[in-house]
Amino acid sequence: MTDETTRTTTVPDAALTGLDDIPHTGESIADDGTLTEPQADDFGHAEQAPSNPEWFKRAVFYEVLVRAFADSNGDGTGDLRGLAGRLDYLQWLGVDCLWLPPFYASPLRDGGYDISDFRAVLPEFGTVDDFVYLLEEAHKRDIRVITDLVLNHTSDAHPWFQQSRNDPDGPYGDYYVWRDDDSEYSDARVIFVDTEASNWTYDPVRGQFFWHRFFSHQPDLNFENEEVQEAMLDVLRFWLDLGIDGFRLDAVPYLFEEEGTNCENLPRTHEYLRRVRAAVDEEYPGRILLAEANQWPADVVEYFGDPEVGGDECHMAFHFPLMPRIFMAVRRESRFPISEILAQTPEIPSGAQWGIFLRNHDELTLEMVTDDERDYMYREYATDPRMKANIGIRRRLAPLLDNDRNQLELFTALLLSLPGSPVLYYGDEIGMGDNIWLGDRDAVRTPMQWSPDRNAGFSRSDPGRVYLPPIMDPTYGYEAINVEAQQGNAASLLNWTRQMIAVRKQHLAFAEGDFVDLGGSNPSVLAYQRVWERPDGLKDVVLCVNNLSRFPQPVELDLSEHLGCTPVELTGSVRFPRIGELPYLLTLPGHGFYWFQLVETGDEGERRSQV
Amino acid sequence: MSEHIEPSGIPHDELAAQVAAALPQWLPSQRWFGGKDREIDSVSAVSWTTLLDGDPLLLHLVVRVEQGDRRELYQLLIGSRQSQLPDVAAAASIGLEDGRTCYEASGDADLTACLLDFIAEGKRIGSMTFEHEPGADLTTGLRGHPITSEQSNTSLVYGHHHILKLFRKLGSGVNKDLVLHRALHELGSQQIAEPLGSISAEVDGEDVTIGMLQRFLPDAADGWVMATTSVRDFMADTAGLPPEELGGDFAGEAYRLGKAVATVHADLARALGTEQAGADDVRRAVDSMLARLERVSAQVPALARHADAVRPVLERVADVAVPVSTQSVHGDLHLGQVLRTVNGWLLLDFEGEPAASVAERAALASPLRDVASMLRSFDYAAQQLLVGQPDDPETTARAMSWARRNRAAFCDGYGKVAGQDPRDDAALLRALELDKAVYEVAYEHANRPDWLTVPMASIERILSEGE
Repeated sequence: MTDETTRTTTVPDAALTGLDDIPHTGESIADDGTLTEPQADDFGHAEQAPSNPEWFKRAVFYEVLVRAFADSNGDGTGDLRGLAGRLDYLQWLGVDCLWLPPFYASPLRDGGYDISDFRAVLPEFGTVDDFVYLLEEAHKRDIRVITDLVLNHTSDAHPWFQQSRNDPDGPYGDYYVWRDDDSEYSDARVIFVDTEASNWTYDPVRGQFFWHRFFSHQPDLNFENEEVQEAMLDVLRFWLDLGIDGFRLDAVPYLFEEEGTNCENLPRTHEYLRRVRAAVDEEYPGRILLAEANQWPADVVEYFGDPEVGGDECHMAFHFPLMPRIFMAVRRESRFPISEILAQTPEIPSGAQWGIFLRNHDELTLEMVTDDERDYMYREYATDPRMKANIGIRRRLAPLLDNDRNQLELFTALLLSLPGSPVLYYGDEIGMGDNIWLGDRDAVRTPMQWSPDRNAGFSRSDPGRVYLPPIMDPTYGYEAINVEAQQGNAASLLNWTRQMIAVRKQHLAFAEGDFVDLGGSNPSVLAYQRVWERPDGLKDVVLCVNNLSRFPQPVELDLSEHLGCTPVELTGSVRFPRIGELPYLLTLPGHGFYWFQLVETGDEGERRSQV
Repeated sequence: MSEHIEPSGIPHDELAAQVAAALPQWLPSQRWFGGKDREIDSVSAVSWTTLLDGDPLLLHLVVRVEQGDRRELYQLLIGSRQSQLPDVAAAASIGLEDGRTCYEASGDADLTACLLDFIAEGKRIGSMTFEHEPGADLTTGLRGHPITSEQSNTSLVYGHHHILKLFRKLGSGVNKDLVLHRALHELGSQQIAEPLGSISAEVDGEDVTIGMLQRFLPDAADGWVMATTSVRDFMADTAGLPPEELGGDFAGEAYRLGKAVATVHADLARALGTEQAGADDVRRAVDSMLARLERVSAQVPALARHADAVRPVLERVADVAVPVSTQSVHGDLHLGQVLRTVNGWLLLDFEGEPAASVAERAALASPLRDVASMLRSFDYAAQQLLVGQPDDPETTARAMSWARRNRAAFCDGYGKVAGQDPRDDAALLRALELDKAVYEVAYEHANRPDWLTVPMASIERILSEGE
């Protein structure tokens, strides 16, 4: 796949002092100090994916690290062309949208979230043209692509910052939050308390303090400056013009500062997001914004914007507290950790959707914002060595669940049927393991395991050159766990996952249906229905029954509102006994689950739904 | 009472009398009937009200049951149909002398639907008054289905919305359950199911509560099921890990349950006040506990062996610092009387112990009585899997370790809200627990001999734990 000659983007240059080894563009500087930045028209543009403005509500997302998926040029590091070469697999699996963590030019001091040039690709991943190629190939397969964009800050190696610190009176002098002392905004918490003593750091070059909510090498942009607001909009336009389908907006609660506040979720931050959304809706309809705000659901809904108009800020937001509660519910064999967080989750605007996940590249986080929740989590986790051990470190799904196939299936079934668009993490579909010896950050970022061949089929490079060694232990190693073997085995986790994704897609109730918790007298069984009103007025009703216990369980469900309907099991179309007046009795094996469609039986065969 | 004539020609008062006459045969087989220990001397109709006239007919009937010196009032819903009886009616039929069939109609959803509608309308029919609480939001037109798990009352669930509890044994005046629910609701309590309405009837010249309508919580699971789920997980662990290291640990829930109970106690004190029990009151309480001990020891030899050790523990209560604060309490608190909902724990059924007299139920008590009673329930939950199994000290010890952890967590949660740990009143708490266990010994001895091991094991544990 390698085609070095097609790379046309600029190479890092040394026009700016101090950036010798840092990927960036800004190849020329005008006399007034303005940087000349690449424009979208300098590159080809990808064909758009078929138009459907609500696609994100129905999509199955797949988080994939470019570095970890496939290496096209044999340098030991995954790249955009490598990922493009594996799109057939992702299409086969049923993925609708890729979420790529940042692939921008970066000194990589914060996993690429420290961006040194918003308009360039990290050279080891390829070029902007390679990205356009990936988009083009993905769109051909009806797969969309979104990526992270950090609005709040840049790397201190970004040419904007270099200009700002060197030339306070130049065009970038006011791009960052500079002050003569470090006294302002003292009510804002320090987020990375382990590494940062203050949100202010003194810059000897400019002789002033700059503001940063995260690492001191990531100065916050000054959104008070209208030019910054416009410049960041232009960054979005650059990628949207190339054809990207949306952004996961990183660290959105922190854009603005205001004395006397905690500098989070401020009204002006929301005002700016509305401005971004309006620009996207007008200039790039059908592209989405996904908010990364690790906050309580009641606060996160603010990032969807005004419900009166169906939402006018972000289209999507991650539902963070749900994930640890799924783990807790199964551990406790009790539906309440899940039921109560969903009961506390407010309605969202009609044009919005949650993103839900089991695992991603971050740790199993307990960063919760209410005291009650912290107390709750503490009570449930603090004494349990098993749960405690998994907090704050990054593990993959399979090792978290002892590689227990029943639990892997139950968790995946929950992910695919609870309200929200599911986000899979690369490799979890085959039950990949982690390598805790690589250290926290890299444990879950090892190469995708494609085959039992050298380097797990990930790269043809010398094994010593691979960015991280592939997993090689007897249980999770690539000789045992890989795509090739699992594709050939009808009973594999991979084929099972693929089938469940396909079933989910046959019923829009999973994606867009109302969620109704059915409760029931057995606290170990979580039963809910998803009800979707079809355009023809009929209802698509899906019933999901999950046994959170390792022991077999009976459950009696009050389904009297569906009197006379027949539950049809969705994977095998087996018809269960009709629903009568008495409570509906089901028995489930340990960690078992059922998905049913409720079908109204009539004389002329059956209608696919019931009214 | 005007003269109602049924299509078949019999006046309703005559029908009421005939039903009453048939009840001595029928009552003892009803689960909710509280007088199974004695012969019934007579049953007489005290009042009757026609709720639905014609066919089908629904009659509300209050009867007085006389058993020696005991006289109790009970209420029944009597249905009668010309057409073929529904299944539920056949099962609840009360045969009459003239061969006609009437039936207890609480299971007949066609007939009981009117009760909810009457409450919503605020209707008065004869001596009966149907009321909804101020501001109650009622969904009408629903059919009511009885829940099957109840012991001493009959409750009908209407849709997913409301639950109507019909008190079977009637007291006088406004029922304690209703009084406490109203008082707590007025304070905005989140630990109860909202009271929505009530039914009362004039009996012997006094308005008596005969029913209470509450919000139904379809998403709830009861505390007994929750706790025994945890016990099951714990007892199945083959590695012998302590409860805090197992997935099914219940301590977080027990802690929150303790907080909920303490919150209800604080609310009850705020709403209905407290009193101070002096040395004489405490002495009377001690005497009553001692009397129970002697009575039960005389019947149960297994308990008699421990009586000498129990007695001083009870006696020591007389030395506790007076005054002891008393207030309205739940009165029969155990894991089966609490519900876990998505909004946390709430408490049900504030009537008090079913076997206690109405006066006993209404009496103020130390909130520690509820605490002791819940602590007993943790022992029951821990040991329920052992009932009927061969005695195995190791397994019993394991079950006890579950109970110990969760009893402690409950007390921690209670103390967190109450501001004082109930274990600080060790002498009183210990005595109340023992007294409750003695009561349980009597109950199990008479009703479930297999279960006698549960309170006996607890008595041995409490005694061996020392001070």
